[in-house]
Amino acid sequence: MLSKVLSLLGFPDEIKRMNMRQVMYQVLNFAMIVSSALMIWKGLMVVTSSESPIVVVLSGSMEPAFNRGDLLFLTNYEKDPITVGEIVVFKVEGRDIPIVHRVIKVHQGDSNDNNSVKFLTKGDNNNVDDRGLYAHGQVWLRRKDVVGRARGFVPYIGIVTIIMNEYPELKYTVLALLALFVLFNRE
Amino acid sequence: MDEDPPTVNKWDGNAIKNALDDATKSVMMNNICTVECFRLIDGRLIISSLAVGFSLFALGYDYWFPFPLSRTILMVCVVCYFIMSAILTWHTSSVEKGTFATVLNVDPSGIDPNDSWSASSYLKRFDTVYHLTLTFKCGKTKQQRESTTAMAIERYFDVNGKLLYDRVSR
Repeated sequence: MLSKVLSLLGFPDEIKRMNMRQVMYQVLNFAMIVSSALMIWKGLMVVTSSESPIVVVLSGSMEPAFNRGDLLFLTNYEKDPITVGEIVVFKVEGRDIPIVHRVIKVHQGDSNDNNSVKFLTKGDNNNVDDRGLYAHGQVWLRRKDVVGRARGFVPYIGIVTIIMNEYPELKYTVLALLALFVLFNRE
Repeated sequence: MDEDPPTVNKWDGNAIKNALDDATKSVMMNNICTVECFRLIDGRLIISSLAVGFSLFALGYDYWFPFPLSRTILMVCVVCYFIMSAILTWHTSSVEKGTFATVLNVDPSGIDPNDSWSASSYLKRFDTVYHLTLTFKCGKTKQQRESTTAMAIERYFDVNGKLLYDRVSR
C-alpha cells in the first residue's frame, strides 16, 4: 500500500533499496532539516534576547500601522528602557497570546532598577486603553511581561500562519506531504 | 541481477544515475567480492547523528529550563550544530567525492590488509553521458589504479534498465 502511495507521489523505485542504512540515512536527513529550522529559531532567540523573536499580528487593533497578518521582528535587550510611543509585544499573565500595542504611559519607579518600570498600553485602533485586557486587578504592565519591542516588519506574510492555525487539517496535510517527500526522495 | 531490472523514469536524470549506481554495485558484489565496506556511509551517519543530537539536547534543555536560563546552552548548541553541518558538507564533497560503493577483497590468509575496489560516478544535469570511475587500492603497497569510462546512457535503457551491466565491470 505504501508503494502505491509513493508511486502516486512519483517515487516508483524507492521501496527496492530500503536496506537498513538507507532508511537510517533518510530519517537522519529529515531530522537534519527539522533541526536546522529549530536551530535557526533558537539562534534568533539568543541573538535578540527575546523568547519569541518573530510574531504575527493577529488582530486589527494597531491599524493603520500594522494590519492583521503582518510579521514583526522583535528584540528584548535588558538595557534599553521602555519609552512612551514604542510598540511592544507583551503577554498577559496566564494567557498565551502575545498582544501588539503601543506604550502610552510610563511610571518610572526606582531609577536604578530597570525592572520596576510600570507602563500602560493601548492599541492605536482601540478606543480605550488595555486595562480591560490585563489580568484581574492588574492596572500596569511590568518589564517581565514584555516579549519584545518591534524593530521591523514584513507586511502580509503572516497570513499563512493565521490560515494554518484556523484550519489545522491544512497544516497537518502540508506537514505530512513535506515529510513524505523528504523521507522518500533519494538525493 | 537477481531481481527484475528496475523501471525508471528515463527523463529523470537523478533516478537514472541511482539505477546505474545500483546496477554497478550489484555487478561488483557478484563479480569481485561480496563484502561491502560501509565506512563512508557510516561516517556520514555518525556526523548527522551528532548534529541531530546537539539540536535535541538544546530542545530538551530549553523545555526544562525556559529561555533566559538556557541562553548559554542554546548558544553553544546552535554553534556546534552549524559546525557539524559544515563538517558534514565537507565530508560529502571532499572525502566521498561521489563514491557510492566500496568492496573489500578480503585477503584469504588474513595477514595482509585488505584490498579495496571503489566506484564513484557522476552524471551532469541534462547531460547524457554517465562517468564511472573504478579505483583499486592494493592493501599491501597502498598503490592505486584507476580506470574511468564514460558511457552514453541510451545504451542501457529502453523503457527499463537492461542487462548490459557486465560491460561496466571491465
